[in-house]
Amino acid sequence: MKISTLLKGSVFAVAAMTLAGIAAPASAQDGKTVTTVVKISGIPWFDRMETGVNLFAEQNPEMNIRQVGPATADSAQQLQIVQDLVATGVDALAVVPMDPDILEGILGRAMDRGTIIVTHEADNQANTHADIEAFDNNDYGASLNERLAQCMGGEGKWTTFVGSLGSRTHMQWVGAGEENAKKYPGMELVDPNNESFDDANGTYEKAKEILRKHPDIKGFQTSAGNDVLGVGRAIEEAGLAGKVCLVGTGLPNPSAAYLDSGAITAIGFWDPQKAGMAMNAVAKFMLEGKEITDGMDLGVEGYEKVTVKPGAGKGLLIIGNGMVLADKDTYKDYLF
Amino acid sequence: MRTKDGHLTVLVALIIVLMTAGAIVSGGNYLSLFNLQSMAGQVPEIGLLAIGVMLAMSVGNGGIELSGIALANLSGVAAATLVSSHLSASADPGMFSLFFILVALAVGVLGGLLNGLLIAYLKITAILCTLGTQMFFIGLAVVLSDGRSVRVGAPGPLYEIGNGYLLEIPISFLLFIAVACAIGFVLRYTPFGLWLMLNGSNPKASEYAGFPQNKVIIATYTVSGVLSSLAGIIIAARTINVKWDYGTSYLLVAILIAVMAGVRPEGGYGRVVCVVLSAIALQMMSSMLNFMGLSNFVRDFAWGALLLGFLAIGRFRLTDFFSPQARPVTTSVQSPQARKP
Repeated sequence: MKISTLLKGSVFAVAAMTLAGIAAPASAQDGKTVTTVVKISGIPWFDRMETGVNLFAEQNPEMNIRQVGPATADSAQQLQIVQDLVATGVDALAVVPMDPDILEGILGRAMDRGTIIVTHEADNQANTHADIEAFDNNDYGASLNERLAQCMGGEGKWTTFVGSLGSRTHMQWVGAGEENAKKYPGMELVDPNNESFDDANGTYEKAKEILRKHPDIKGFQTSAGNDVLGVGRAIEEAGLAGKVCLVGTGLPNPSAAYLDSGAITAIGFWDPQKAGMAMNAVAKFMLEGKEITDGMDLGVEGYEKVTVKPGAGKGLLIIGNGMVLADKDTYKDYLF
Repeated sequence: MRTKDGHLTVLVALIIVLMTAGAIVSGGNYLSLFNLQSMAGQVPEIGLLAIGVMLAMSVGNGGIELSGIALANLSGVAAATLVSSHLSASADPGMFSLFFILVALAVGVLGGLLNGLLIAYLKITAILCTLGTQMFFIGLAVVLSDGRSVRVGAPGPLYEIGNGYLLEIPISFLLFIAVACAIGFVLRYTPFGLWLMLNGSNPKASEYAGFPQNKVIIATYTVSGVLSSLAGIIIAARTINVKWDYGTSYLLVAILIAVMAGVRPEGGYGRVVCVVLSAIALQMMSSMLNFMGLSNFVRDFAWGALLLGFLAIGRFRLTDFFSPQARPVTTSVQSPQARKP
């Protein structure tokens, strides 16, 4: 390996790099850098979040704001991105952790280095300055149930679906729903907490069984994102669209057909666009050295009056009121 | 016994180019001590897995190691559940770290031994065997942890392995280099290393020559298992938690690193130093893309392009261009068996 061969190699590699079209981007040194790291790039949920991040970037042109995420759903890939970003010296990171536990180490080191850390969907994250949740889980469950009760006219048999019995948030949602249903003595809960495993086909089979077992059932409250699709299909095929009520967590685009046919009464969700903006807003406040206080307005729809509590670690837990309940008439405002 | 290999030259050149390019695009930030440490800290886990793949490929018979990351996670999960049920990480960090490492290594030995025994005695093709054991290891880890991540905590010595520095160099990186040197030494200067490579070059000939073929295969996969568990220990130390599905993308990246390093998939040839450099180059490239703020899909594209480039170098003997004194250019393509080992 002589110097000349090394040189030749370098020439070859430089040529290859040029061919690959790698050019130096202009690095903005003036503004503060806030980078949002999502669980995975290129899926509708986080594409929607990116629209919020981009909107926030437009509103704050002096800041350097963008969103990145791994190409594969792997916590190791997300860890690498976070690690590299910390090394680049970003001022703040807004992270939606794939697995909060895996990121604890690097987030702790980033905080030691003076990086502001804001997280979302990770209320158990210890190493963060602030974790933002779109809504209080109990309020959400109660609201879903209230919408269901309204549709059922406050009486009749109803049941619940959860992703799995081990899913903490899902159990909270249906628990709060059951609590809310006690307001209506006419509502009778039958065979509760069916496990769907977020599988639309499995949920469809199970919903058919329930419709056979309880021909007079009036309502379903579901939790995992695909449950409304399975139950909705069962209701539609049984010719019960509009007669049996179905309220659950779901996304507007996939649910559109069932919402139109009336098989799904309403879907509940939170808008990732607003969540992305809220994370960046909190990061901006913190970079400016402002304190986040209870009842504060983050300047983002659904986060006008946030509840602030101590979080799992030394940071804050910020809870918004960003829940959205969309039905046939309103889902078109949130197509993602 | 080794012919001069242009891969080494190309890899060194690539690293130099990446350093220069990184420094240019980041305004020097890329070469800051913090980032160099950060990159060096990220290399060991994938690098160790790649050496494991290299050993499995080199021993021949269609050798490959697909269970690496699964075994690494299993080692971490098993050690975390077992040791933390008997010892407290905060009360006795030294003992906790020691037993954690011992249990993890033991799991690595057992897992590797299982692969080796299945491949050597039951004559199962390595790709099917390690695919099966991969699922087996994943399943075990899920059962042991109930599918949740298991907290290891940050007991002093273990935390140092993952996050500490010696002379400003990450300890995990030093460990990785030490292990790589040890493996390189064994391959080059011991009978085992010779048997391993010759078995990969020509299994039939090595059988008739009376090599302890099965023992070589078993030992190779066991070493590979130990490397996986070392990766598992480093992952646990770095992330403070272990989970069964960590690093699912590493499976293919480890193979990519090995092939980029010029390890021959047919067996019989591979150099540890090239694997180390190849892992470093890949890490530098993905960090640089992150520095530039490019989409991670671009990274997949760049890795793919790099892999194809290296395959072309191997296929069209472009390496002769880089090291002209290596061997005379022949027009016919030599078969692996015919090639001088």
